[in-house]
Amino acid sequence: MALTKEQYKAFEDVVGAENISDDKAIMPAYYNTDFAAIILPGNTAEVQACVKLCNKFKRQFRPICTGWSGMFPKDLILLDLRRMNHIIEINEKNMYAVVEPYVISAELQAEVMKRGFNFCVKGAGTNCSAMLRGHGHLDQTTSGDDRNHLAIEWVTPEGEIVRSGALGSADEWFCGDGPGPSIRAILTSAVPPGVTPGVFTKAAVKLYHWPGPAAYPIQGHSPKYTLSEIPPNMMARYYSFPSVEKMWNAEIKLGENEICYELMGFNAAMVACNITTCNEEEEVVFAKMSKEVQGPGFFVIIGGNSRDDFEFKKKVLEQIVKENDGKSLKTVENPEIEGILLCQCTRISASIRETFRAGGAFNSIPIMGQRDLTIKWAIGAGKAKEPLIKKGLIVDDGGAFFGWGVEQGHLGKTEIFCKFDPQNAEAKKAVEDWQKEQSHRAFTERYFASTMGPQDEIGPALMNYNLWWNKIVHALDPNGVSPEGGALV
Amino acid sequence: MALEQYKGDMEMCCRCSACKFIPMQKIKGSEFSYACPSIARYNYHAYSAGGRMNIGAHALKNGMNYTPKLLDVVYNCQLCGACGVSCNYAMDMEVLEPITEFRMKCNEDGKTDTKLDKVIDGLKKTGSMVPVKGKRGDWATGLKIKDATKEKVDVLFHVGCLTSYDPAMQKLAKSIAAILQKAGVNFGIAGDAETCCGGRAYQMGYKDAFLAQAKKNMEMIKKAGVKTLVTGCADGYQAFKVLYDQFDLKGDLEVLHITEFIDRLIKAGKLKLNKKVNLNVTYHDPCRLGRLGEPWIHWSGKKIPGDRFVFDPPKEYRRGTKGIYQPPRDVLKSIPGVKLTEMTRIMDYSWCCGAGGGVTDSNPDFAVWTAQKRIEEAISTGAEALVTACPWCEKTLNEAIKASGSSLKVYDIVELVERAI
Repeated sequence: MALTKEQYKAFEDVVGAENISDDKAIMPAYYNTDFAAIILPGNTAEVQACVKLCNKFKRQFRPICTGWSGMFPKDLILLDLRRMNHIIEINEKNMYAVVEPYVISAELQAEVMKRGFNFCVKGAGTNCSAMLRGHGHLDQTTSGDDRNHLAIEWVTPEGEIVRSGALGSADEWFCGDGPGPSIRAILTSAVPPGVTPGVFTKAAVKLYHWPGPAAYPIQGHSPKYTLSEIPPNMMARYYSFPSVEKMWNAEIKLGENEICYELMGFNAAMVACNITTCNEEEEVVFAKMSKEVQGPGFFVIIGGNSRDDFEFKKKVLEQIVKENDGKSLKTVENPEIEGILLCQCTRISASIRETFRAGGAFNSIPIMGQRDLTIKWAIGAGKAKEPLIKKGLIVDDGGAFFGWGVEQGHLGKTEIFCKFDPQNAEAKKAVEDWQKEQSHRAFTERYFASTMGPQDEIGPALMNYNLWWNKIVHALDPNGVSPEGGALV
Repeated sequence: MALEQYKGDMEMCCRCSACKFIPMQKIKGSEFSYACPSIARYNYHAYSAGGRMNIGAHALKNGMNYTPKLLDVVYNCQLCGACGVSCNYAMDMEVLEPITEFRMKCNEDGKTDTKLDKVIDGLKKTGSMVPVKGKRGDWATGLKIKDATKEKVDVLFHVGCLTSYDPAMQKLAKSIAAILQKAGVNFGIAGDAETCCGGRAYQMGYKDAFLAQAKKNMEMIKKAGVKTLVTGCADGYQAFKVLYDQFDLKGDLEVLHITEFIDRLIKAGKLKLNKKVNLNVTYHDPCRLGRLGEPWIHWSGKKIPGDRFVFDPPKEYRRGTKGIYQPPRDVLKSIPGVKLTEMTRIMDYSWCCGAGGGVTDSNPDFAVWTAQKRIEEAISTGAEALVTACPWCEKTLNEAIKASGSSLKVYDIVELVERAI
């Protein structure tokens, strides 16, 4: 249902005529549905005023950031946060940065690298919001998920402004849990339907030491950038192993020794995506690399704080790899390839090559848990991909999965996806079936996948969390205006 | 090509927003990170390339839904192509072409911008995109320049509409003539026989008007027996080199921008830059000399059925890699006393000056807003002057300076070369 004239005027009075539109012609830019309106609030006060109006008019809303596809029901008010794109503060002393939702990771990362810091850029890519929660390539150094959010400013579904942690008692962002209210469990919930309703308007994210350069010495033109030199005390390698067990053993040893700046459990197909500039080249390189690797593997970046530190880390790395019969991929030892992988995999700027370039879509199953166990699950999911590959319905990546350890590597994320052409109905259905079956298998084998469902099935297995969560959401959102949560991408 | 032929490309868009920003590796901070003036100014996702692609894909399935807002989206775009460079870092798909075709489709359906209609009416009557005062070749009076339609020349200097008719821009034509004369080049102009290249008409969505101009020009060029054409205008350069080739009109005509030609002359020892020009400068890459000056690639083929967006024969995308970036820089470096400091957004991911796509005519405020952002970026380098290689850039950048009260100077590269000879 379209906004009434009175409703439109009320929103317009908040954001200005230029920042609201109910023109149906531009809505497909966001999603193929009829939104009630697109609204562009410029600050927290405007978000709050809009949310209060949504409650007054009983209109559902959802915030959106840089714009990945989502599922948007008809008649929703879309709060496009594009105008909220400011870095509020970079606090070097206390090692955090405060950002608005539309600051993308590439912007914040470039700013903090100049100051000798880095932060947890999520695997979705550096084109996404720096506020986004989740995991990424840098998890061994930066950890992941809710560990990286400090104080948060949140407009609740009813339009109250809640400031968590230190921000709740003083104008400080250094802690998410106090002094002041800690509502971490609500603000960072992840299990469907527990995606936090309301709108996150500012967040402090942790910064970490960065041993690399203030900026990479990039040369050449897109899509083939190279580095003019490998930055001092940095190295990138890809190691393959004769078995999953040996790979896992090396991975956990490296995690425990805390020597890797990054350990990313790429498969050969994903390395091929990263280092190639088009689909055709990718197929050729993948075929070559498939012969070059001896089995599963991972990608490693070492960053030394000094020459000695670098040499020590390198020595430990080589020893652990040797003990587990690992083999370095010659392709990545080429300084041109090594250089661009260093840059792309710390700036997380090739995620789209890995996922969308091939066919335009991918469906994924991410599993959190103990890495050695989740890898076992992923092997099964990989085997289930093989018939789809044989039929030509999905891209041939050898049935591979990927993943990485968080911090010391015991806990980690393992993920597997199918890349396909979404315009091919048969492929789409086959991939959806695969995702459903393998997510169900994850559930029955007691793994945790965010694609699991339905809630009435998984809820009882998880202490009926869904019932409790629904009660919380009802208390926060009595008018039911924030159905899809405030997760930002 | 019609919009339908880009259906697959438009459907490939995953709304990742890479098109809004310069290539991710090149982002140096929160300033100067945007590539697309349209999304930076108007904010709605619809104004980004991703938004335009999704609207296009939707229109092919459901029909065109013409509304004032849609036309505002369509015409508030410089078609500068920065979106495509950023997208094509990762994706294999056409970006600027479907956006251009969408505008062409609007034009075919009569959904034009009245201000642009007026410009095209003027073009049809006068052969010029700018108001005509006097004759096209009046600026050359007394300069002893050959008439290429009457005398045999090695090089035809295509002057262009703005440089020919705008009194403030005629200095560029004179500079180019002086440089070519100094180097002893056997060149000429077509004078009144020259007509608009049609490039800006194409950008505005008037394909027929463009084709009419292109045919007139090529007829004159063939008649004159010209083998090499040099232009000082980036729009003209792209029209002759890329668009004429796209429509199989170029033949074997060699098309060079004046910066390429001067670079050759310097490297061949035919032009000596001896006089010192003490100036700290930064260089603005015109879109249609840089990323959009990349040669056209003729291709036709079919998508190979299956999991990937690949074609038989394989499709080579124009990703902006082969634009003209180094010659103007080499020329600047050859001028004694000139110190070049680069801006953040350069070469294939350069920020547009604002003048493209007919925006200077349809929405001059947006053109100046875009140019002001470039001025801010130029000032951030500490340069005293912003050097460019296109009269449209120089004009728009100067208007932004006037509006903002900045003391930054704007020069075309040929002005500095002339000072140095």
